[in-house]
Amino acid sequence: MNTQTDTSLIRNFSIVAHIDHGKSTISDRILELTHTVEQRDLYKQMLDSMDIEQERGITIKSNAVRVLYDADDGKQYQFNLIDTPGHVDFTYEVSRSLAACEGAVLVVDATQGVEAQTVSNALLAMNADLEIVPAINKIDLPSAEPEQVRAEIEEVLAIPADDAVCVSGKTGEGIHDLLESIVYLIPPPTGDASAPLKALILDSYFDAYRGVVAMVRIFDGSIRAGDRLLMMAEGQPFLAEEVGVKRPLEQPLPQLGMGEVGYLVTGLKDPALVKTGDTITGESRRCVEPCPGYHEAKPMVFTGIFPVDNKYYENLRDALEKLKVNDPSLTWTPETSVALGFGFRVGFLGLLHMEVVKERLEREFDLDLIATSPSVDYHVYLTDGQMIEVTSPQDLPVPEKIERIEEPYLKATVIVPPDYVGAVMQLLVDHRGTSTDMVYLSEKSVEMHFDIPLAELILDFFDQLKSRTKGYASLDYEFSDYAPSPLVKLDILLAGEEVDALSFIVHRDKAYQLGRGLCDKLKEIIPRQQFEVPIQGAIGNKIISRSTVKAHRKDVLAKCYGGDITRKRKLLEKQKEGKKRMKSIGRVDVPQEAFLAVLKVDDE
Amino acid sequence: MSIGALYVHVPFCARKCSYCDFASEATRADDPRMDGYLDERIAELDRCRGLGMLGSCKTAYLGGGTPTFLGAARLGTLASRIRTSCPNLTEFSCEANPDSLTEKVIATLRDAGVTRISIGVQSLDDEELRCLGRIHTADQARACVTVAVTAGLNVSVDLMCAIPRQTDESWQQTLHEVIALGVGHVSVYPLAIEEGTPFGKRYGDDTPPWNDEDVQARRMECAERLLAAADLIRYEVASYARDGRQCAHNIAYWTGVPYLGLGPGAASMLDAPTYEVARDLFDWLPPRPHDASRMRFSTLDAEVEFLSAREAWAEDLMLGMRLTRGIEEGRLEAVPDTRDDLLARGLVERAGGRLVPTHDGWLLGNELFAALWDCR
Repeated sequence: MNTQTDTSLIRNFSIVAHIDHGKSTISDRILELTHTVEQRDLYKQMLDSMDIEQERGITIKSNAVRVLYDADDGKQYQFNLIDTPGHVDFTYEVSRSLAACEGAVLVVDATQGVEAQTVSNALLAMNADLEIVPAINKIDLPSAEPEQVRAEIEEVLAIPADDAVCVSGKTGEGIHDLLESIVYLIPPPTGDASAPLKALILDSYFDAYRGVVAMVRIFDGSIRAGDRLLMMAEGQPFLAEEVGVKRPLEQPLPQLGMGEVGYLVTGLKDPALVKTGDTITGESRRCVEPCPGYHEAKPMVFTGIFPVDNKYYENLRDALEKLKVNDPSLTWTPETSVALGFGFRVGFLGLLHMEVVKERLEREFDLDLIATSPSVDYHVYLTDGQMIEVTSPQDLPVPEKIERIEEPYLKATVIVPPDYVGAVMQLLVDHRGTSTDMVYLSEKSVEMHFDIPLAELILDFFDQLKSRTKGYASLDYEFSDYAPSPLVKLDILLAGEEVDALSFIVHRDKAYQLGRGLCDKLKEIIPRQQFEVPIQGAIGNKIISRSTVKAHRKDVLAKCYGGDITRKRKLLEKQKEGKKRMKSIGRVDVPQEAFLAVLKVDDE
Repeated sequence: MSIGALYVHVPFCARKCSYCDFASEATRADDPRMDGYLDERIAELDRCRGLGMLGSCKTAYLGGGTPTFLGAARLGTLASRIRTSCPNLTEFSCEANPDSLTEKVIATLRDAGVTRISIGVQSLDDEELRCLGRIHTADQARACVTVAVTAGLNVSVDLMCAIPRQTDESWQQTLHEVIALGVGHVSVYPLAIEEGTPFGKRYGDDTPPWNDEDVQARRMECAERLLAAADLIRYEVASYARDGRQCAHNIAYWTGVPYLGLGPGAASMLDAPTYEVARDLFDWLPPRPHDASRMRFSTLDAEVEFLSAREAWAEDLMLGMRLTRGIEEGRLEAVPDTRDDLLARGLVERAGGRLVPTHDGWLLGNELFAALWDCR
């Protein structure tokens, strides 16, 4: 029985945009207009199913939804709408999703114009040979300038924008035109339905009952439930237990044919075996070449994560393992700190990823956690010729044993109005960045390219960029290479005791400034205690900065309202609750946020 | 089954002060609800007496709100009923505000059996009083204190420190004047910015410079020094008295004496036998769990806190440390770690078989109290 859909009626596409340009609202409108989701059932941004995604308005996981569109030509088309992550931390995931498409709808905010991720996403889409359908969104806003934005798209991206559709995700205006454009502009998939199976894994998630479920795009061949299949990179055979599509709830089908996108229940219980970007083929009848572009997601940022109370160490491990099930990019190794006890050094794709994971650990697993300053993966060359990777300041060997340290550099792009070029240049100088070139995209925007150490970017670079450019600048980056730098370890002493969890690897020339900044910031964060607490910054044995938390002078409830002791005691208990969330280091009670103080040091 | 102390709450004021979050309501002097209130309290007192609760009650306290806002007639009636309901009173205090503490009210209170008057002076600087939202002047305060002292009553004044406009000099000035007025008792409270009050709304979680903890500490230390020089010795966190003028009712709160509060917002602390009797008085009181040895409740919350014997014991330790004389060292024998820790931290010291709070233990009392309450 041949159930292969006529491929000329299939359109696979992504919607890409700079953050907040309205990608998710347009997706919602498409679901609504094609009656995939009835309005009454539609909750805001249907595709983003995780709490935190909804709260922050960002997409973390990829997803693919099938919608059936009755076009003006009288035919019914199968649209596979592939939603991609929308943040620079998840560039690899985006590239895999795009590889599953023939086209991309490029959403540009009619009030903001082209921004950094508009450019980077458009470039990713063009590199993936996708047909781009520009959509100018938010045209319902009074400040919308669609003609200006159209010109920018042509000028900056060299994409013909005559066909750009003006839409409003909010009111639904123009969405019908957009759907028609998708039919006419985006080519149908091509492939060989009778060739051996070749399917790309876009993403996967874990289902407690069925194991790992992969989202796949079929390039050649087909998958039927019951087929014996193979993960090519992993070399893992498995049985296709079920296939189907999301509309957006799962709907099982007898098969997924060539050109289609859907889900595949693998029955595998270990999420590590199902990797985004891997190729699925037949166990016995294998395709010759896997899908190109596969590599393992590599963590960029590392932090120590410790339970405030060490008895929750095992709970933290369990929680990490549970999260990893749906987030295979998470990596960790056990870490021990004199100050914080037992915890983990966790690797993340970026700072946003780190924040989201920490928040989920605390919220979904009810853990009180301390995160330490983010670090990158340093390559430390020892005098004996050996190279070691150091992701935690406390693992840095003594200076005598170090020949040199190399740190990861990024190629970064900032798009900013010309008025702010000077401010960005200054920021680059402050953060050891070097400008490589600068292109005027239009009268209104300049694209600046520069090299910058990743370690600088993960501190307050992005916040500073936003504040120094009044929010106009947008940033995008990718890893480039390792390069040597004169780096030193800055230690912090509280009441004369070195606190390993507060140590930080920093460029020699910035150590003094950061030492001062950290001492001052910690003085603000650490509450007054019964005794004066000196805070010192040190490199080796040399003290380079200091500040002092004054001793507590008065902490007593004097007034007694007609013998209301209960109220007094409740206040005491509330105070104690606050203390419990702090970490006792020696005699000093240190609040959790102190360990991330380095992120809040204002270097001005 | 009798209590040791009685508190009667008068929840009316001419105006609500900017810092006050206690149960009281600003109203007109002719508010008819005051009569209804009076009838309720008198009825309660009669029932208490009928139940035999007041036989050994040693101290009574008419607090506010502003008791003197009731006016001489109503206040006289209430005070007399309290006096006659408690045949064995040795101390009977009434709170007063300078704007309503007239000579007539003073005479009425004295005639009704009140022995002690606690006047809300707060400050003797008009500008500071205005900032607190007080409705009286410094001169009114001086005058009524003088009248009350002259009338032969034990007079206490309440003072506030770390308030807007206050300087070290104006604070000293207020203290000197109060001493010169010849009072036998002074209470000193640093202003606490409470949620929901005008100050709380204005400052939120921020601390204005005038209320900084260093300022509070400095003013409290200054008060202790100046008052001591005038033989007004600190006997509790916030209370100073000449010898023999300590407030017995106040001390009852810190020494585990059962007390009954009447009126909205009044707090009670009862032991098992007195609680059983009180259940006949307040029908909303739930039955006592068999392991509860101390009950605390306020009529406003209509909620009872049941404390086990161990909790009551820890609470007594904590409350005992509010007093300058501290507690007998033997009472901490069961918790030697806590005792040693408090000694090591310099919060308490030994004095004649007792553990007494040090200077730090006074100003950082919450550390001390929390450690003792943790012994429960």
